[in-house]
Amino acid sequence: MIGRALAFGFAGLLAGCAPADDRPEIVVQRFFGECGAAYGESTDVAAADTECGILTTLINRFEAENPDIRVKVNVVAWPGYPQLAAQIAAGDPPDLVTMHQSVISDYAGAGLIEPVEPLLAAARIDPAAFTPAARAGVEKEGRLYAMPWDTIGRLWHINTALMAEAGLMRGGKPVLPNSPEELLAHARQFRERTSKPYLIQAQVSAPDFHVALLYTYLLAQDAVIFPDARHIRLDTPQARAIVTVLRQLNAEGLTTLNQDFPAATAAFIQGEGGIFPVGTWMLGPYDAEAARSNSPLHGNYAVAPFPRLWGEEASFVDGHAWIVPAARRSPAERAAMARFLGFLAKYNYDWSRTGQLPAFAQVVESPAFRALPHRADIAALARTGKQLPGYVERQSAVQGLIGEELEAAITGAKPVDTALKDAERRVNRLYAQMM
Amino acid sequence: MTAALRDRLAGYAFVGPFLLVYAAVLIVPLVMGIVISLHRADLFGRREWIGLDNYAQALGDPVLHQAFGNTVLLAVLIVPPLTVIALLLALALNRPGKFAAVLRGVFFSSLVLSVTIVTLIWRFILTPDAGLIAEGLEAAGRAPIPFLSDPDLVIPAIAVTTLWWSLGFPVMLILAGLQQVPGDIYEAAALDGAGRWTVLRRITLPAIRRTLLLVVMLQTAAQLQLFGQAQLLTGGGPGGASRTIVLYIFEVSFGRWELGYATAIAELLFGMIIALTLLQYWLVTRHEEPRA
Repeated sequence: MIGRALAFGFAGLLAGCAPADDRPEIVVQRFFGECGAAYGESTDVAAADTECGILTTLINRFEAENPDIRVKVNVVAWPGYPQLAAQIAAGDPPDLVTMHQSVISDYAGAGLIEPVEPLLAAARIDPAAFTPAARAGVEKEGRLYAMPWDTIGRLWHINTALMAEAGLMRGGKPVLPNSPEELLAHARQFRERTSKPYLIQAQVSAPDFHVALLYTYLLAQDAVIFPDARHIRLDTPQARAIVTVLRQLNAEGLTTLNQDFPAATAAFIQGEGGIFPVGTWMLGPYDAEAARSNSPLHGNYAVAPFPRLWGEEASFVDGHAWIVPAARRSPAERAAMARFLGFLAKYNYDWSRTGQLPAFAQVVESPAFRALPHRADIAALARTGKQLPGYVERQSAVQGLIGEELEAAITGAKPVDTALKDAERRVNRLYAQMM
Repeated sequence: MTAALRDRLAGYAFVGPFLLVYAAVLIVPLVMGIVISLHRADLFGRREWIGLDNYAQALGDPVLHQAFGNTVLLAVLIVPPLTVIALLLALALNRPGKFAAVLRGVFFSSLVLSVTIVTLIWRFILTPDAGLIAEGLEAAGRAPIPFLSDPDLVIPAIAVTTLWWSLGFPVMLILAGLQQVPGDIYEAAALDGAGRWTVLRRITLPAIRRTLLLVVMLQTAAQLQLFGQAQLLTGGGPGGASRTIVLYIFEVSFGRWELGYATAIAELLFGMIIALTLLQYWLVTRHEEPRA
């Protein structure tokens, strides 16, 4: 017995004496979920589906093709910024991190992330190849702080069978409103003819949902939402008009109520409402659902950018990007990071199969992308999509504050005027406290 | 060196390592927290001295006031029922036999689940879309109740979730207390012809008085720090109706990077918990004879 224990101990010691792995290591930190059970061993990028599946497969493939680089992957719960902030504060940041383009200003402004032009150059990625929306998302004060990975926007996901029942189809295409009055008229007609709500909306635990609508229709009117880096302007006639219509939709029961994102996502699949205004990321999953013969959505799915209700055609967009936290790294590590970015850029088309718009203009224009279902309908987003000015920091926190006040206004808990004034006050207070 | 001094040094040597670790992980961060709360500070080490401004701001912050009200309401809805239910269950399960042992395990089992699992289970129960309660109501021809999006219902929903989750530990504490009560007192009471209610009131409850106090103190401190259930079930919504103080601290520190202000709120919460705990202790023990 003692002999066996000694043998085990000796074997353990020998294992501990294995030669050191001197390959450069890069730590990749990402959100998009954990799907190791389905894609843990997958390297066939073309066969992978969903954001998590495609990215997991891409990283597996990179490791397989680059055995001289050690890749350590941290999967963080969405969006992962609290962890990242803690890692940076502790002086132990990862090397490459997924980040929403709207969040980059916070980190760039504080010098917590590095400009990436040298890495892009080493990876032979020409920034001129980015789409205008993608480039605007990563460029802050003339410097590029990330490699853009996609453009994400909100779309109207449409159940065409219900729209036909409501008399809102023409020439095989959904008839979408062109004004707020028409929106309410369509919604009432839809409700009357189908007994179902016109809109499906995630209004629970989803503060960004209404904020995206508000930003979109304010940007469409060229309204100045952020006059400078320390102030927001929300107590305006334009904002009041938009929020009043959203409140009216709720008050008349023209939209689903009390749903969070999972519930709203399922409700659309079950055909419980006409239109679900949610992100580009649902295009792929809903398209797959519409292809299933026993799905209520089968053959009845269309998608369109947000309709023009006020001002010009525009949509508030964001995007995902790969940022590099500021840290000391060896030339070998930087070369490995550049190789990883170059690899990801090469597969930007595969990423766009998720439903997100590609970050590279060449991919947007490519026949392969255009041949994907519905992409021709939404490609304009890469051109018309608008982001908030680059100097706007704390966008995530600001969305949370505005979203909370909008929720109160739309559900009738607060008058619209009061909610917008409160949102303005709370955001301005946040900026006043910023260092 | 005298024997007394030697004994004293040996005592210090035994408690010394613990005191060092205690000071390093508790006392030092507490003092650092107080210092940070007097600054405008971010997560990345930038500091600007502002004295008591963060505390003044906290006193006038309507969002904190709402979070304070929510937290106190949650503690009131959770701690008394939890103590009473745990006491009743412990009394019922304080008997020998396999069945009681199995039930003790069943009631303890929810405690080993993580907050993520607990909130996932209760989301399946409470959500108005295909949730367990909603399905039952719809089968009875009634409309689903929006437990997680009605400002008047979210706090009770979180309270029920927490009660279900937290029951196991107090039951075990009270059971342990009950098993310390000497059996001969009950035998004497039986000989005197005391009824069950009299035995409970005159013997059992006084005997486990300190255990009950411990349960109330621990649960009050725990529920005033409620975080995970609110964050995962409702995100603090709708409109902040279920935001708790710790959830607000999390939002302010990690969402807004206002570490100084978040720390000031944390210090206020710390003071509140200490004051409440001491008050509870004093209320229960003020008439007791000092221990020898």
